[in-house]
Amino acid sequence: MEISRRSLLAGAAAAALASNVKIGVASAQEKVIRFAMPQDFTRIYTFVTAEYSQGQRDYISLINGRGGINGYTIALDVSDHGNDLPRAIEAYERAKTQGAVLVDPLSTPVARALVPRVLQDKINMVTAFSGRSDAADGTVFPYIFPLSPNYWTQAALLIDFFRQKDGDLKGKKICFVHIDTPFGKEPLPIVEKLGQKFGFELQAFPYTPPGNDQSAIWPQVRRARPDWVMFWGAGVGQTVALTEAIRNGLPMDRVSSSVWLSQSDMDVVGRDQAVGVLKFDPCESGREPKVIQDILKEVLQPGKGAGPEDKVGTNYYNYGVMLASVMVEGVRMAFEKNPNGPIDGPWLNQGLVSIKDFTLDGFIPPTTVTPEDHQGGGMGRVSRWDGEKFVPETDWFTANQDVVWEEIKKYSQEFAKTGK
Amino acid sequence: MDYILLTELAINGVFVGLMYALVAVGIVLIYKTSGLANLAQGALAMMGGYATWAVASYFGMPVWGAIPIAIVLMFLVGALIERLALRRMIGQPVIMVIMLTLGLEIMLRGLLPGIFGSAVKRLDLGIPNAPIFLGDFLINRSILIGGTISLAMICVALVFFNSKLGVMMRAVSDDQTASWSVGIRVERAIAIAWGLSSVMATVAGVLWGATQGIDWSLSLLLIKALAIAILGGLDSIPGVLIAGVIVGVAESLASGILDPLVGGGTRDIVASVIILLTLLVKPHGLFGREHIERV
Repeated sequence: MEISRRSLLAGAAAAALASNVKIGVASAQEKVIRFAMPQDFTRIYTFVTAEYSQGQRDYISLINGRGGINGYTIALDVSDHGNDLPRAIEAYERAKTQGAVLVDPLSTPVARALVPRVLQDKINMVTAFSGRSDAADGTVFPYIFPLSPNYWTQAALLIDFFRQKDGDLKGKKICFVHIDTPFGKEPLPIVEKLGQKFGFELQAFPYTPPGNDQSAIWPQVRRARPDWVMFWGAGVGQTVALTEAIRNGLPMDRVSSSVWLSQSDMDVVGRDQAVGVLKFDPCESGREPKVIQDILKEVLQPGKGAGPEDKVGTNYYNYGVMLASVMVEGVRMAFEKNPNGPIDGPWLNQGLVSIKDFTLDGFIPPTTVTPEDHQGGGMGRVSRWDGEKFVPETDWFTANQDVVWEEIKKYSQEFAKTGK
Repeated sequence: MDYILLTELAINGVFVGLMYALVAVGIVLIYKTSGLANLAQGALAMMGGYATWAVASYFGMPVWGAIPIAIVLMFLVGALIERLALRRMIGQPVIMVIMLTLGLEIMLRGLLPGIFGSAVKRLDLGIPNAPIFLGDFLINRSILIGGTISLAMICVALVFFNSKLGVMMRAVSDDQTASWSVGIRVERAIAIAWGLSSVMATVAGVLWGATQGIDWSLSLLLIKALAIAILGGLDSIPGVLIAGVIVGVAESLASGILDPLVGGGTRDIVASVIILLTLLVKPHGLFGREHIERV
């Protein structure tokens, strides 16, 4: 039989594909709890996903390597939705048929699109640092779990830090430089309200996405002579913002950012250039924490790491560890509540809303999730870049939650009424 | 109205515009030789940035040492694009060849971050970030140096087109068949144009990469470059120079004047408005040649 070049190539391609397909269906006897992790590895959130996912996978390997929980191991189904809604919905539906009890899409548009489905299907969706901020209201969003301080809380906490430093914000000027997207604008209502409450003047400076040229924005910020600056973006927009702030001579110890600023960003800006810049920190950074040491010893050393070793302990890696640990704590609590299952979405949901004062040996702030509060208490801290690492500037704390929850309730009630 | 701020924005806009114009020169080089609008110029700038970073990182070289190597590599890449892709398109409608360059742009945007990783890469040219103050005016040092280098490169392109090789390439642009008939190797001329265009893109990629870091978003320079090339006239290098300054200053001032009025986001609209207005009012741009055909 003569084999044409075309059929040879097609055969080789099919063989190559087949060798990469994982058979993911577990047998009925297998004691497995499935988490679906369709995330954006290739388009918009590429600056964070690889490190975040690596942290999640390494933490789950650590837990599974220790025998899992109650004899059950966690199966992570990691896939790429590329921030594309049809692909994300397809991945979600596939996860549903395979018995996933939790999904973590790490994407605001995907999370927003999945809200009606997960509420209907009773599958728990984690929306840490993404999705709807009003999903903190568990009474309206029972299956949606931010499990971390939302953007409103982050902004409110930074403002309180400024107040702690200056004693009083009356008559001060705060510039808010943000990417001109719904995410970038999100903290504006909170900061405006806090401006009225504390008497500071707010000036907002939006830049167009992705923010690779902000040369006309930062001279305006400089000339406004702000007392404090908050910059709110992600990816290249963050590194450009920080670089322009430096080039405009703004004092770094008066410049701050959200959760989206990492060591990797400092490598782009120049580690020694940005000394003093502040950020919101949701968990410990670096390799010193016990959990990271455990991962290095029990997962990385035996060669079971999910990615490059030099990324272990970066901010985004640690966020992944943080969120995976809260998910696993939810599983642990679910077994405590209902040891005999059945293992499904509502079962895990009971566990997640029973998490109380969970800190993972001090790696994260005390986190308490209740049926009403899916944010987990809204604690975090402010850290300062010292040229090598982010050093805590405060202890874990939360602030201005009255204003934040007013906003959460306003939007969640709107969703309850209109479904939007 | 803060006139000091506006003056400062205008001055910085001049240098930013020159940096954009460097990308546009690549488009003009190819158009002048082959009558083709190269929509892959943004991706070539991105590729030049990645190439410089890769040479510096993988061979442990200082960036200034990596730049000449990347320039040579990118010249070869440009020439190869002509040899492997464009030459096969001879005889096809021009629109299909333009679509080919667009396909190349999209492919490179996905391919390079796929190969080198999608995280933003640092390209340190050693330019200090400390601002230069002239009285109350701040001059962005990085943009000042970037704009000056861009101006020098554009002048080199201008001189090149008056050289023997440049005249040959202009002849190819005017009439390919006639050029063939007098012994000019048209394919070679077009390959050189693509090579030189890639060199310009590499310098632009390095300058912008030093300003914003290296990642896929460098390819977005295409839109600004197209606005400048169209406004200047697709076949005029002095036109590109002037249009670059106009676009840079207009964008910068729009951001300072209009953003506070409408809540932001006007900067990137400027390039689109310039493209539209130029095509509607003066399709050949400020300095473009009007082609007259006698029938």
